[in-house]
Amino acid sequence: MNPSEATPEPTVFRTVNRSVRQEAITGLLFVLPAFIGFVLFYLYPAIRGLWISFTDWNMLREPTFVGFENYLQVFQDEKFWNALWITFKYVLLNIPIQTLLGILLAVAMDRVVKSTVIRGLMILPYLLSNVLVALVFLWLLDPSLGIVNAGLQALGLPKQDFFVSTDQALPTVAFVNIWRHAGFTALLFYAGLQSIPRSVYEAAKIDGASENQTFWRITLPLLRPVTVFVAVTSIIGSFQIFDTVAVATNGGPADATKVLVYYIYENGFAFFKMGYATAMSMVLFAILIIFTLLQLKFFRADQSDLA
Amino acid sequence: MTVQTAKPHKRFEWDRFFAWFGITLVILLSIFPIWIVLKTALSSSTTLFEGASRILPSEPTLDNFKRVLGMVSAEEALKAGGSGQSVNFLKAIKNSVVFTGLIVLGQTFFSALAAYAFARLKFPFRDQIFTLFLSAMMIPGIVLFIPNFITIKNLGWLNTMQGMVAPYILMTPFAVFFLRQFFLSIPRETEEAALLDGASPFMIFWKIVLPMSQGPLATLGILTTIGMWNEFFWPYLIGKDEGVYTLPVALQQFQTQTPQGSPDWTGLMAGAFLSIIPVFILLVVMGKRVIESLAFSGGK
Amino acid sequence: MKKFVTISSILALTSSAHAATTVDYWLWDSSQLPAYQQCARDFQKLNPDISIKITQKGWDDYWTGITTGFVAGTAPDVFTNHLSKYPEFALNGQIVDIAPYIKKDGVKDIYLEGLYTLWGRDGKQYGLPKDWDTVAIIYNKDMLKKAGIDPKALSNLKWNPKDGGTFEKLVAQLTLDQNGNNGLSKGFDKSKVKQYGLINPWDPNPYGQTGWSWLAVSNGFKFNDGLYATKYYYDDPKLAETIQWLTDLALKKGYLLPYKDTKGLGANANFVAGKGAMTTDGSWMIKWYIENAKFDVGFALLPVGPSGKRVSMFNGLADSIWSGSKKKDEVWKWVKYLGSEACESAVGKFGVVFPATKKGVSNALAAHKKNGADVSAFTKLTQTKGSTFLFPITDNASQINSIMTTALENVYLGKANAAEALKEANEKVNKLFK
Repeated sequence: MNPSEATPEPTVFRTVNRSVRQEAITGLLFVLPAFIGFVLFYLYPAIRGLWISFTDWNMLREPTFVGFENYLQVFQDEKFWNALWITFKYVLLNIPIQTLLGILLAVAMDRVVKSTVIRGLMILPYLLSNVLVALVFLWLLDPSLGIVNAGLQALGLPKQDFFVSTDQALPTVAFVNIWRHAGFTALLFYAGLQSIPRSVYEAAKIDGASENQTFWRITLPLLRPVTVFVAVTSIIGSFQIFDTVAVATNGGPADATKVLVYYIYENGFAFFKMGYATAMSMVLFAILIIFTLLQLKFFRADQSDLA
Repeated sequence: MTVQTAKPHKRFEWDRFFAWFGITLVILLSIFPIWIVLKTALSSSTTLFEGASRILPSEPTLDNFKRVLGMVSAEEALKAGGSGQSVNFLKAIKNSVVFTGLIVLGQTFFSALAAYAFARLKFPFRDQIFTLFLSAMMIPGIVLFIPNFITIKNLGWLNTMQGMVAPYILMTPFAVFFLRQFFLSIPRETEEAALLDGASPFMIFWKIVLPMSQGPLATLGILTTIGMWNEFFWPYLIGKDEGVYTLPVALQQFQTQTPQGSPDWTGLMAGAFLSIIPVFILLVVMGKRVIESLAFSGGK
Repeated sequence: MKKFVTISSILALTSSAHAATTVDYWLWDSSQLPAYQQCARDFQKLNPDISIKITQKGWDDYWTGITTGFVAGTAPDVFTNHLSKYPEFALNGQIVDIAPYIKKDGVKDIYLEGLYTLWGRDGKQYGLPKDWDTVAIIYNKDMLKKAGIDPKALSNLKWNPKDGGTFEKLVAQLTLDQNGNNGLSKGFDKSKVKQYGLINPWDPNPYGQTGWSWLAVSNGFKFNDGLYATKYYYDDPKLAETIQWLTDLALKKGYLLPYKDTKGLGANANFVAGKGAMTTDGSWMIKWYIENAKFDVGFALLPVGPSGKRVSMFNGLADSIWSGSKKKDEVWKWVKYLGSEACESAVGKFGVVFPATKKGVSNALAAHKKNGADVSAFTKLTQTKGSTFLFPITDNASQINSIMTTALENVYLGKANAAEALKEANEKVNKLFK
């Protein structure tokens, strides 16, 4: 998030004596359409959201300004901290496995599988919507009627409660999202793999390196820019987990899966405390910014080992 | 590399074996839940729950598919546990194609343009603007959607396609970030050569950078297609008129109807299964195209 | 900025009516859609200058749509309202007080007793009753036959929270383990239950409409002191012993399908899957059971409790007018028609809900009878005084819901004791009114 340090100086256009002004105008023109979209649909609502977070607003009446009251309340709200803690646990359960699985799938798609149909099948779950995935797993994992438990019992194994156990609900939500999202992560890594020149692999093959060694010594280091991208975007996404919880558990049982965005949503749309919900959103926003900054620092951001 | 050259072939085979074993497992895990979708879609509502823990539908029927496709009368649909409202499936597919297509084309193009500028051009506040774009990814959606809804309403675009595509068509922070990362890793030499020949930055972008980036662009295209094809909430809020219903919005009619009631599971699953097919075909076709383009651009 | 913030100016932006006025009408229950389409057709014949546009949306999306509609000024002119939702809307001026219209047109209270008042507060009226519901036992005829139980016996059961009474005995008798032993026999293995005597919807919410309210209230529990009370009595030991009895019946005795097994797909799904002999549910689900169960279902009265009565929650729906509607006169005409004998008796003929008028009810009963279902178990209680109690309506409904859900789930999962959890929850609930 400190692009000035991260981005290599774009000297290309300067080398041929084009005026700085001309380049600036071109650059601005290039960014303009995206900038309009950004201002209208991100910046403006975000500023409005910031204003709402300083008000008491139930959506149905006019907001009244309350200063920092919502924020003070956030810091005293036990349920908020609990929701944040549950979200952290979810991210920890979700991200490492999802990322690893994504890399493995991508490498398999790149190096082993040649058929696009099989590649497609490997990432099939990603084609389903979040809501549908949650509904399907509600069926599969139902303690009473679900086929997975029928299978476990047929094998003489004990029944599991999955979504309806206070201990298993969060890992189950994480598993379901890994199942769906590994394909997404895999596609990103796959795109990254495509930018690794084939000559590198050929050289390794001539040297007699095994697939295994090629992976650890060549593929993984060269994938670093994509890994940064995946880590940053999927952690941001993972912190905002909502759909699966809303469909499969409603934050339950007994609040075991009441993640932050669900709690925010509940306050905003069920309790009509929009000012408070927005204040919590702003706190989440701040947490995500800090997290992303740390990640970019840690990964040395945008420096590619190739370019 | 320190591997002895005597046995590389054999080790190689073992790796392959494990790889294929893993791939088979992944495919089984991928397909199984989707089989359950299909199985549910083939079940009649009276055998549905009773047969929930069985792997095959107990009394297979195509009625649910017929129902989704509007091939049965409202009365029969009601009997089968449906809403009796006809879902105009073909119209919804058409709307989904237009909605997804417009967004994929617009978003990819405008995001690429911006991403290229962020990666290569120097202009005032470049890094600040990029940072702002990036941070937009971190705003929880709940903050955004009510103001955006009001914006669309004030533009008079409720119930229109332009209202539905507006927030996505010019950019998403994700697309800009993604493409910028890839543009950064393109070697500069080709661009420099073109510049010396007097090409304008737009020509370089259009004639050199875009063709060279077909892989990442197609990947982004696939990701956006899948995302938008499944997008429910926004088109649902904006498109209240049946004429602009996208597929997920149309399928919503099969979901829970009363607080303690049950969704129309069989209809829902039949619709869901049908809606996966077009994206899967697209994925395979686009996937082929990615590989061909790479072969063409000399990447492989 | 202010332009977007003030609701009133947003409302001013909504386009005004065209020559032929279209009235937007929303409902959530798809099974009722054909009935109201019929009403709309009849209405349009009488009022050619008004056209009714009906939209049906699933429960969750329905309320999201209504709320965003309020904020953005795009809510429907008229919508089916629920008792747990309307007080908040009324408090915030989002729904129209129709009392002046009622007075002007001399609309009579032609509805079953109690329904009209549910929708009023301080002399204001927020809707005309359209239908109502009660709760009854739904049973699997095959399972009863196999156990050699006369279905008539079901309607003569007694329940108490100490030993469960004849109700618990019957539930035990209908519970079978894998070896075919029923719950009353010595060899009964509660860890290997094949058929449960009862599948209860549990209702981890503040109302317990189909799950526990009929037990608790028949044990002498009352939610609060009536419409718009500011104090709840969830700490009443009579509620605690009821909830504990239910939980023990599942977790200790194994006669009742545990909460966790019903949470995912629902008690109704488990019942039609043949997991149990009886369940309890509301009258709006009658048709669903008949159409989704492979076996024959029957309907029976709830058991008599320690208070000497059998009781059911009496809940009603109404149509409310959004205060942002620009065509209130036309809209009122439609609402008036919806609440009229003409529309209600037409709806009754579809046999999906019980309309709010007597004629509507007899039409509904006739429609069910034609389909071979005797559903009088649902209507009988409304004919005896003191056999129904009203859905508890107060402010802060959604926050109460959140508190009670957490508390009850903890009890149902065996993680907390009912008396303690409910006492704690009640303190939190009553704090909301301070």
